[in-house]
Amino acid sequence: MSAVNVSADLSSEMEVDAFRRLFPLRFYERHLLESIRPDARPLEKARDTTLALGAVASADGSALAKIGLTTMLAAVKMEVMTPTTESPDEGCIAIDFHMPPICSPMVRPGRPAEVATVISKQLSDTIVSSGMINLKDLCLVRGKAAWMAYLDIYCLDADGALFDTALLSAVAAFSHLTIPVVSLNDDGRVVVSEETEGQKMDNEPVNKDKRKLELNSIPFSLTCILHKNYVLADPTAEEESVMDTLMTVVLNSSCQLVSLHKPGGTFLAYNAAVQDCIALARQRVKELQSILTEAISDMEVD
Amino acid sequence: MAGKDNATPTTYSPSPKIQKQKRAPVFSDVDWVRPDGRAFHQCRPAFLRTGAVNSASGSAYAEFGNTKVIVSVFGPRESKKAMKYSDTGRLNCNVSYTTFATPTRGQGSDGKEISAKLHKALEGAIILDTFPKTTVDVFALVLESGGSDLPVVISCASLALADAGIMLYDLISAVSVSCLGKSLVIDPVLEEESYQEAGLMITCMASRSEITQLAISGEWSTPKVHEAMELCLNACSKLGEIMRACLKESSSASKE
Amino acid sequence: MEIDRADGRTANQLRPLACSRNVLNRAHGSASWSQGETKVLAAVYGPKAGTNKNENPEKACFEVIWKPKTGQIGKAEKEYEMILKRTIQSICLLNVNPNTTTSIIIQVVHDDGALLPCAINAACAALVDASIPMKHLAVAICCCVAQNGYVILDPSKLEEQTFKAFAYLVFPNSIISLPSEASPKPVSEPMEHGIITSVTRGVMPVDDYFHCLDRGRAATSKLSDFLRKNLHLQTPTDPSKAG
Repeated sequence: MSAVNVSADLSSEMEVDAFRRLFPLRFYERHLLESIRPDARPLEKARDTTLALGAVASADGSALAKIGLTTMLAAVKMEVMTPTTESPDEGCIAIDFHMPPICSPMVRPGRPAEVATVISKQLSDTIVSSGMINLKDLCLVRGKAAWMAYLDIYCLDADGALFDTALLSAVAAFSHLTIPVVSLNDDGRVVVSEETEGQKMDNEPVNKDKRKLELNSIPFSLTCILHKNYVLADPTAEEESVMDTLMTVVLNSSCQLVSLHKPGGTFLAYNAAVQDCIALARQRVKELQSILTEAISDMEVD
Repeated sequence: MAGKDNATPTTYSPSPKIQKQKRAPVFSDVDWVRPDGRAFHQCRPAFLRTGAVNSASGSAYAEFGNTKVIVSVFGPRESKKAMKYSDTGRLNCNVSYTTFATPTRGQGSDGKEISAKLHKALEGAIILDTFPKTTVDVFALVLESGGSDLPVVISCASLALADAGIMLYDLISAVSVSCLGKSLVIDPVLEEESYQEAGLMITCMASRSEITQLAISGEWSTPKVHEAMELCLNACSKLGEIMRACLKESSSASKE
Repeated sequence: MEIDRADGRTANQLRPLACSRNVLNRAHGSASWSQGETKVLAAVYGPKAGTNKNENPEKACFEVIWKPKTGQIGKAEKEYEMILKRTIQSICLLNVNPNTTTSIIIQVVHDDGALLPCAINAACAALVDASIPMKHLAVAICCCVAQNGYVILDPSKLEEQTFKAFAYLVFPNSIISLPSEASPKPVSEPMEHGIITSVTRGVMPVDDYFHCLDRGRAATSKLSDFLRKNLHLQTPTDPSKAG
């Protein structure tokens, strides 16, 4: 308690930056009292979000997503596999989230960061359980060949809301994905059919009409900080380090709940707070949906 | 709970380029065309930008044709606990590749060798006395590998160091040359690199006319080496100018 | 509307609970917890001096090590470790032993559904056994949601896989004694209604989630009674730390 009183007295005579470093929690709470955040955002407003499709030429589908300063690059590469005997007409998705040492001073080379593994797991659970991709669409030849979609997401700059940005870049990469036209060669292997000059293709392509993946009910997410009675949407890294109660709501386009993730934290979430977060997530889904649609239509114009 | 992911099935890429080595090298004649249509002594257009990663002390993004890299610089910061006392600063370099950097997934190198080369190339240009007891970390991520990765990483890293305000004797620019048959090609792309008979890379501090690293591989004749070095040094000084312009631009933009 | 469960339970019925503390003699605190066939062993070591890298030395720090029944630790276990760690951090008093690390080792003995809630309950009992200072206890429960919005509690592994969605919920246990300090803010809801941790999988309508919350809260009061009774039973000399 005494520290709080001292900081209250000092705050009038201390420089803002020093106060921010020495008493980060007090600094934020003073802002919260005025319903504003240090970056001039209202509490419930998410940061500017941009999306660029087709950032990686060597991949079959890719997207660069930015929420505030947090930047993620996602790319999908399609490879061929033999489907399992239990599900002979289904392909597979493998999702991996990487935090290379360039993205944050906290990550050092060598062992992967623990957060990265956890986000990786959360992402694949969310994408698989949302039913966005029908795995049957990834089938090429029943029982013989199916697509394995490798989705790799790299965090280039980490400034909070990592899961949200990763999920956005992931769904955008899938919506940019163009599946290569392939045919079976004489050895029974699947190869890309290339139209060589004048010559007709020797083998009939097996997936001529399935170049795009159909995405049903795309999931979008919003992370909020719960602090006392306040709800702060889309936190920055600094906010996440000062206030530790996070809640991530994932909704699909028909506003059904895909995931509600709250791992511990100082503050308990009561029904009212949960409802607030879900309401904010509903708005955010609409925003993100229009950002995605815009990015796709920009792509088609080019 | 989809706990199936432990049994990842074996997969292969359907792209034919990887399976059959197409197009036998025809570089022996004089008038072949480079895959991207450039003249033999023409570099790829370079795009450079500093301040790509906000959470780093300094950073830069470089794009040379299809080669795209990001370099972040952290520090000077506390050295690892295991390190002994040192009255000069330390430099720590790490280069990694994304899984989609190469045409086949996950075939990028582990970056150990290239990290060591990056370290050697930068070491000579940094005034290590200015940050005793501490470490500067230079981390690079190759987003896409389109040939000449190492020189691009080195140039980008020196730009990032400058952006971080680390004291340097001069900016380092790096250029490589490949020898294919009778001809020398500058700034080779991935395909040219895979067929090259010999390669040469120079990293230099252009305005001090000092070379920090010279790497030669393959068989060279003396006149060819001379020609190649001339080519590289020339290109290095031009690249140095572009890098300087990029830094000036970003500093004037931040002043406004 | 009724769903027949393979083991003949009603929707709200939990599997038989069992908890015993002080099962390991080398650990500073230990407990085994089972719900039906699912059984987890938790051991607590510490607090020992110093914190791990990237942790705040001004607070007590916790580390969770998850040992699967067989094989190596994978992504799922890493996620469990993180969730468990954050949950424990939120129920323990972090200012009492600053700059210390307490290790919690979770050994899965058998997994038959609701594994994470079972591990959280076990960890909680083990922390009490090791006399780690805590704000309150936590009780965890798993709710499964069927296609028609029907909710069942404490599913078995088979039920977890066949139902379209499930939620792991962790609540504080109900406080019988008066709260020591005035509650931090005027909440209309009692404290045991607040969610400490929520993890869900599968698509469900938002209303179903709130339905899960209600059912979960109702069931956790029974769970916390069981936990409390168990803790009292085995610590006749020192009942104060139970809650």
